[in-house]
Amino acid sequence: MTAVPVPVALPVPKRRGLARRLLSTPQASVAAVLLVVVVAAVALAPLIASVPPDAIDPSHAFAPPSLAHWFGTDELGRDLFSRMLYGGRYSLGIAGCATVIAMLLGVAWGFVAGQAGGWLDEVLMRFVDVVMAVPIILFGLILVAAFGASVFTLAIIIGLLLSPATARIARAAVLAELQSDYCLAAVAAGVPRGRLLFGELLPNAGPVLIARASLVAADAVMIEASLSFLGLGIAAPAASWGTLLQQGYANIFSSLSYVAFPGLVIFVAIWVLNTLGDRLQAVLDPRRAR
Amino acid sequence: MINFILRRLGISVLLLAIVSVIVFVVLRVLPGDPTITLLGGAQGTDPAQVAQVRHQLGLDRSLPAQYWQWVDGLLHGHLGISYFSQTSVNSLVAQRIGPTLELALVAIVAAVLIAVPLAVLAALRPGGPADRVVAFFTTVTMAVPPFLVAIILVVLFAVRLRLLPSRGYVPFATDPGGNVQMLILPALTLALAAAAPILRFLRASLADVAESGYLLTAEGKGLPWGRALVTHALPNALLPTLTVVGMTIGQLLGGVVVIEYIFGWPGLGSLIVNSVLKRDYAVLQTSVLFAAGAFLLCALAVDVLYGVIDPRLRVRRKVASS
Repeated sequence: MTAVPVPVALPVPKRRGLARRLLSTPQASVAAVLLVVVVAAVALAPLIASVPPDAIDPSHAFAPPSLAHWFGTDELGRDLFSRMLYGGRYSLGIAGCATVIAMLLGVAWGFVAGQAGGWLDEVLMRFVDVVMAVPIILFGLILVAAFGASVFTLAIIIGLLLSPATARIARAAVLAELQSDYCLAAVAAGVPRGRLLFGELLPNAGPVLIARASLVAADAVMIEASLSFLGLGIAAPAASWGTLLQQGYANIFSSLSYVAFPGLVIFVAIWVLNTLGDRLQAVLDPRRAR
Repeated sequence: MINFILRRLGISVLLLAIVSVIVFVVLRVLPGDPTITLLGGAQGTDPAQVAQVRHQLGLDRSLPAQYWQWVDGLLHGHLGISYFSQTSVNSLVAQRIGPTLELALVAIVAAVLIAVPLAVLAALRPGGPADRVVAFFTTVTMAVPPFLVAIILVVLFAVRLRLLPSRGYVPFATDPGGNVQMLILPALTLALAAAAPILRFLRASLADVAESGYLLTAEGKGLPWGRALVTHALPNALLPTLTVVGMTIGQLLGGVVVIEYIFGWPGLGSLIVNSVLKRDYAVLQTSVLFAAGAFLLCALAVDVLYGVIDPRLRVRRKVASS
């Protein structure tokens, strides 16, 4: 007698496209649109800016927003809109590179620790504890004091500072995946460690990590802005959003728009990245969503 | 319990020691010699003069010797001498620690005073208008970085309404009224930033407790829901919130650095920023270590307090460690 396999019709959940599920809340849609607008505006800065960001016009200093100067002008009469467009290249460039560094380093760190276990795990994770035992901004100040502030050093410093938190999450993800049946099966089938780690575990832990990357980027924007605001960002005449915010704040009694626009844009950038990160987490990884 | 405290204390001391090594190494090994800055930054400075200054500051000794000199001094209460003002770091830190403590304490108390009533208000009618307003307030304040909150408050209260000064500090002893006036904005900034996570956690914690049987009993025997919430649910919900408060104090210490700088508040935070700008490593390394120590102390205090308040935790730890 051969058992005839009874076909069981499992209810297959309707899989809508990822993008549509992602944007199914109004907040996430708004965030995605804003992200595209901001990134496009910053990337196409030379095409959009009608006035060069360093064109000085002292007779129109602290001009309020107008058709000629959408965001008004600064203390030297420079067009704030142009300066914001070009400043975004520093802010988003540094934050983007820092995010890549934090993710690469953090994931490698967490994966090695979680997969190796034993003393190596212990040492690596205790080092995470040490770095996370001190507020990020303190280590940031020390490192900027030592390395100086350029686009290159700031990206590395911020990336380094954000990697331990990522390592913790990556390690937790690896440990969770290692428990699963498919991993056990892969180990039993003799899949080599490296392939198990990067061929099997990484794709499965991917969703958690992608969502994490968006949240890291939000933190990176904020840290860059904080450092610039303290006067420890990239050196003049280059100016990131944080630098513009600082200069606007210094002239707060002369012009409110000068401080308002950089502040607003920094807030929007952080909000967008946080919102998309939370949403990505909810969609890609429903089990672990907050 | 004693064992637990001692072990946590040991870990904290070890962490602090490692932090001190990292801070020291980062500041010494990397480029940026303070002597050049000290002598005016000119390239053609007389080498003999440089050597003399380096010797005075002890920079010509080996790194381990310098590190030992620093730590030995710390342990004996000599925090070092500022490279620039030639004053001892002891007096600098002593001057600065008062304002920072005042700011941080007022901020955390204010944060709790903001968070607890709002959480209870929100929990009274889950999903009601108050709950939604509070939830909105939490998400917004969590997304706005503290320095933006500071700027908004300054624009509102200093530039527009001209009610409060935008920056400055006078000691409480000389001018209590002025001190409080200048304290309001920085303390409120930090309090708002700190209140959001506390509020969010306490609200969730209240919702958890609200579902428990004893609260149903309380309601069943006729206790008004509001009183049941405050007298029965709140004490239990506050317990796990304590950890969040502790973590928030830690984050507050990071926020203090930026906020003090914005408001010209002469605390430890602005001392750190200024010593970074001047490359005054002697002041920098010690003040950062101070801040890190304070941070670790908060974490330790919360852990210990938690164990004292909640006996279940001690038992669980004992079971786990045996």
